[in-house]
Amino acid sequence: MKSKIIIGPWSYLTGAILLAVLNTLLFAALHTPWQITTGITYWAAWIFKFLGGAPENWHYFANNASKSEGLSQSFLSNSLSLMNFGVIFGALLAVLIASQFKVKKIKSPKQIFAALLGGIIMGYGTRIALGCNIGAFFSAIPSLSVSGWVWGISAFIGAWVGSKLLIKYLL
Amino acid sequence: MAEVRLDCLYEACPIPLLKTMQSLKVLNQGDVLIVETDHSCAIKNIAEWVGKQKLPCEIIEVSNGEWEIYIRKER
Amino acid sequence: MKKVKTKKDQRAYFWFFSFLALILIFLFGITSPYLGYYWLFGILFGFVLQKSRFCFAAAFRDPIIAGSTSLFRAVLVAMAIMTVFFTLIQYNAVQGGALTIPGRISPVGVHTIAGGFIFGIGMVIAGGCATGTLMRIGEGFFMQVIVLIGFLIGTLWGAWDYPWWERVFISNSPTLHLAQYFGWTGAVIFQLVLIAVLYYIAKKYDDQNNILL
Repeated sequence: MKSKIIIGPWSYLTGAILLAVLNTLLFAALHTPWQITTGITYWAAWIFKFLGGAPENWHYFANNASKSEGLSQSFLSNSLSLMNFGVIFGALLAVLIASQFKVKKIKSPKQIFAALLGGIIMGYGTRIALGCNIGAFFSAIPSLSVSGWVWGISAFIGAWVGSKLLIKYLL
Repeated sequence: MAEVRLDCLYEACPIPLLKTMQSLKVLNQGDVLIVETDHSCAIKNIAEWVGKQKLPCEIIEVSNGEWEIYIRKER
Repeated sequence: MKKVKTKKDQRAYFWFFSFLALILIFLFGITSPYLGYYWLFGILFGFVLQKSRFCFAAAFRDPIIAGSTSLFRAVLVAMAIMTVFFTLIQYNAVQGGALTIPGRISPVGVHTIAGGFIFGIGMVIAGGCATGTLMRIGEGFFMQVIVLIGFLIGTLWGAWDYPWWERVFISNSPTLHLAQYFGWTGAVIFQLVLIAVLYYIAKKYDDQNNILL
């Protein structure tokens, strides 16, 4: 029993209930439910700025008070950035307590291509759909927003196309 | 009664599951398939899928974050 | 042939990193009262995601490739629980005089469909969604570091193109909240019934489908 909790894996249902409780607590305590990709966009903008770009002049950041404020902060002083680091750190703790940490290298160039392409279209998709699977779906549907349902159906159709591509080219 | 090893190390989800499906299809009755994987999700979704085929399956953690899934093709 | 392998006890690292996390809660917490909480919530989310192997990409993908809906149904259960509590939080905020309803309520239109669709393709070929990518970086996957690099490029590109999407689609799209059609109670009941129906369909689909590629 004890080892089942520490080593895992827990059932999907356990995970679902705990995530629902955590997201509710986050919403109640800090007035905004869970989101991921706005934080990732700040990461991208900060790196771009470091490389010499000027994203603070972009319409996307300049015309939005909360986004230009977020952009003026840094990796460790912005709340959404910090929460994303927390997700990485929490997953690390979860594997370490079970002694299951292993560095997994990249096997083939095909993987790099799939990872890069998949990442880019996901990233682009989050900006235009105003969120990812968390902000535009997992937190949006419980907020009674119709956009959450539309996003879910669209992502499902996308996943169907993606699965066909995966089986054809990546398997 | 052959023992076939399937190397799925460093593969991302859902490749290990799909490769398991492919390999099981060509195995003979009574053969054992050993899937080597280090993807923590694969042990869960492969075990679930194998269970659905009503085949016995055993998971052994051989090293830190590395598993071998033994599946006997009974039918 | 059996390869000889050893299994090391990594719990010492666990205690070290837990201790570090605690110190950081304190350090972030004295910088700003909320930062410590965000850091703590992130850690809890990451821990639960990894321990339960909760992968949104798989929730959408496994019904298609394996005929399995267990993860999809778990997502539905989470949605049902949150629907009740999120609505209570929103209702209380509005009763308390909030001018806008709190939560993630966005305009819905062509941009939602286009963005959701390409996100759906991306998460399947990259082997993980946004949370899955972060969680797997914590697990030590190099491939997901590449996904994150792609993600960073993609978000920046999307932010650059955003004015066009905003002008053509987002600014012309309505922001729809279920309570404006059904009332607060009606909206919760409507959504819970919808989730229950989906759950039932998913269970039936799982029982009847045995996909062998």
